[in-house]
Amino acid sequence: MQAEYAIIGGGVVGLSVAWGLQRRGLRVVVLDGSDGDFRASRGNFGLIWVQGKGMYAPRYAEWTRGSAALWAAFASELGECTGRDLWLRQDGGYEVFFDDAEMARTAAAYEGLKARLGGDYPYEILGGNALRREEPAIGPRAVGAILHGEDGHTSPLLLLRALADDFRRLGGRVLTGRQVIAVDRPDGFRMTCADGETVEAGKIVLAAGLGAATLGPMLGFRAPVRPQRGQILITEKLPKLLRRPTVDLRQVEAGGVQIGATNEEVGFDDHSTQPAMARLAARAVETVPALAKAQIVRSWAALRVMTPDGLPIYQESAAMPGAFLVTCHSGITLAAAHALRLPDWLEAKRGAPDLAAFSEDRFSR
Amino acid sequence: MAEFDLAIIGAGPAGMAAAVTADKAGLRVALLDEQPRPGGQIYRNVSQASADRVRVLGADYALGRGLTTALAESGVQHIHGAVVWAIEDGFRLSYTANGTAAQVSARRVLIATGALERPLPIPGWTLPGVMTAGAAQILLKGSGIVPRQAVLAGSGPLIYLVAAQMVRAGVPPLALVETQSTRDMIGALRHMPGALRGWRGLAKGLGLIRELRRAGVKRFTGADRLKVEGMDRAEALCFRAGGEDHRIACETVLLHHGVVPNTQVARSIGVSHRWSSAQQTFTPVLDAWGGTDRPGLFIAGDGAGISGAMVAEIAGRLAALKLAEEAGHLGISERDRRAAPLLRARARELAIRPFLDAAYPPYPGALRPDDDTLICRCEEVTAGEIRQTATLGCLGPNQAKSFTRAGMGPCQGRYCGLTVTAILSQTTGQSPDETGYYRIRPPLKPVTLAELAAMAETGATNPEGE
Repeated sequence: MQAEYAIIGGGVVGLSVAWGLQRRGLRVVVLDGSDGDFRASRGNFGLIWVQGKGMYAPRYAEWTRGSAALWAAFASELGECTGRDLWLRQDGGYEVFFDDAEMARTAAAYEGLKARLGGDYPYEILGGNALRREEPAIGPRAVGAILHGEDGHTSPLLLLRALADDFRRLGGRVLTGRQVIAVDRPDGFRMTCADGETVEAGKIVLAAGLGAATLGPMLGFRAPVRPQRGQILITEKLPKLLRRPTVDLRQVEAGGVQIGATNEEVGFDDHSTQPAMARLAARAVETVPALAKAQIVRSWAALRVMTPDGLPIYQESAAMPGAFLVTCHSGITLAAAHALRLPDWLEAKRGAPDLAAFSEDRFSR
Repeated sequence: MAEFDLAIIGAGPAGMAAAVTADKAGLRVALLDEQPRPGGQIYRNVSQASADRVRVLGADYALGRGLTTALAESGVQHIHGAVVWAIEDGFRLSYTANGTAAQVSARRVLIATGALERPLPIPGWTLPGVMTAGAAQILLKGSGIVPRQAVLAGSGPLIYLVAAQMVRAGVPPLALVETQSTRDMIGALRHMPGALRGWRGLAKGLGLIRELRRAGVKRFTGADRLKVEGMDRAEALCFRAGGEDHRIACETVLLHHGVVPNTQVARSIGVSHRWSSAQQTFTPVLDAWGGTDRPGLFIAGDGAGISGAMVAEIAGRLAALKLAEEAGHLGISERDRRAAPLLRARARELAIRPFLDAAYPPYPGALRPDDDTLICRCEEVTAGEIRQTATLGCLGPNQAKSFTRAGMGPCQGRYCGLTVTAILSQTTGQSPDETGYYRIRPPLKPVTLAELAAMAETGATNPEGE
């Protein structure tokens, strides 16, 4: 056996799990694809976001908060090991509103969630003036914001790089340019790649993003994932403008203001489109009028990996025990949980997180 | 949104010739160009140039007047000062002119965006006082400015032309430091029979070299280990040639080692490209008319592969004939009858190209820069950092970009793209085609949020599901 675990997928989800297993002394091999693959990890917005997650699914809200709480330790360990700051900022984040009634409706929904969580769900409502005291760049049309103190942001690309770097430093192996086309189980698992190479491992974690839709059924999963396009713009580098991120604006470490994101059901089309760029720009200028003069230097689009209800899937295969499916559209927020807590679940250790709520069985009901 | 039968991007020789030809055939043509006046880089400002400037720039430059005059007399809608920043299926072009974003739609598009100078990353190339020879020529064409105390370094026919133009302007360069070697020239001799068919081009080149010799401009060939020295700005060019180390104190260093197709527009809409080992660059995959693998989308001029102004003009006419035929304005036999002399002329003009490509290869030191040399000037990324990404599993430039920020700046990777592909290809052992190129997206040139936002407000956009 070449490895105890093979991780199919070298994005942020796959590498978080791989790093988490490798640092516990397990031998892990990651199979990664090509430069041109759909790579959600390369197009991520970079929020570590609790707000709005699991509004009607308390277990998801808890799991997200748990990961957000682990992020500081996770980033600090990765930062120390790689000598690179991940630019983590967790001082809270906003959802900005332009309509009083909508803000009231959202606040009422949070009250409901708070009740379901036994009162443990911290958030604050800021009126327009209070918001502008915190964020003077926010324009007069904003009526207020919901501030969630556990929200924050990081550089998703620095995270990906740190994982790629430190996983190797720990002795993990990454095979690049590999497309897994078949899996069988002579003794353990054997994966066959498009180039003919085979890789054997005791267990497999399928973290192939949208690739799970085709690979999943080979391993006995439903893997009901679909692409959802998100387009993002980024400005030229600007002086400090925003203290905290909002759900669709964040000033990145290099100074650019990142503007997101669309949610488009357009299949496997990851093009940027002018109409969406214009709408994103209009909303950004409405929120922060000073952005009007800023230049957009780049745009990009990536395909989110969406499940029917938007929640993650953590599932061991009934047909092939030892094969696990891990998929979500919040690979940055959940990276800390995937790295630090999922290994216990994979290894069926005592104290492993209860992930029954994220079984894909929920889609057969 | 204004609608046309044909939209052409770029008013250089290819774009102008295509526009005039298509207009004559009866197509409604829009010609979008960034400059205030037509001409492209090669004929920049030619319609306004004084007699003295034409004397300095030479007879080939004055040839452009035929095209600018024909364009002015045509029915082509020339949208000048228009920076095209997006092209989408349909086709829909988004551009900014006079601070306002606008769009045109056209059933067919010809990309005639020409060439870019091949970046020449050497130690010190980002210091103030260093620019490309092409940029120096643009200053000369546009404003009559000639850099003083300048050294020209690199390879290629343009170096001789710029040097001769500087001599004629009364400000000769201090020296020409050429990186091509005698061995390159000997290797190029096997292409001599072809080159002799294009003897006019060859004679022009020899004439320029004689002109420089008469003016007493010093030439070094086979130069290696190029390096610009200076603290806050360029103070000297250092190199090794003829077995000796040289240092030429100067105020300006003009670098050049050929031009490469500007493929940004074509790549942004998904046109296939292939590596050309003869030209050491990517070129779009085209048929004989300039048609791409996208129906209705054509490319003519240096953007199709470097062939110079005369070939560009011919290619523009050929593409326009095919486009006019596709649009139903020209019969196939008439198209072919008019294309035949153009195809013969193009073959004649292309005859010298293999010789030039072999005789003036890119400077090898810049294709494999030292680890410490900056290769992405926008984001200040070194060659060594790109090499390191290969050890972190990056097979291609898009992954390397994610890990280093190379290519994320305002130039959209125009100045580092080929270098990053080359470095990764050398490091991983994959071919340039396997390594690939940056994914190019809009905006092709920076656009302000206010310009974009105004398009949403005026309903220039279609509502889309969010």
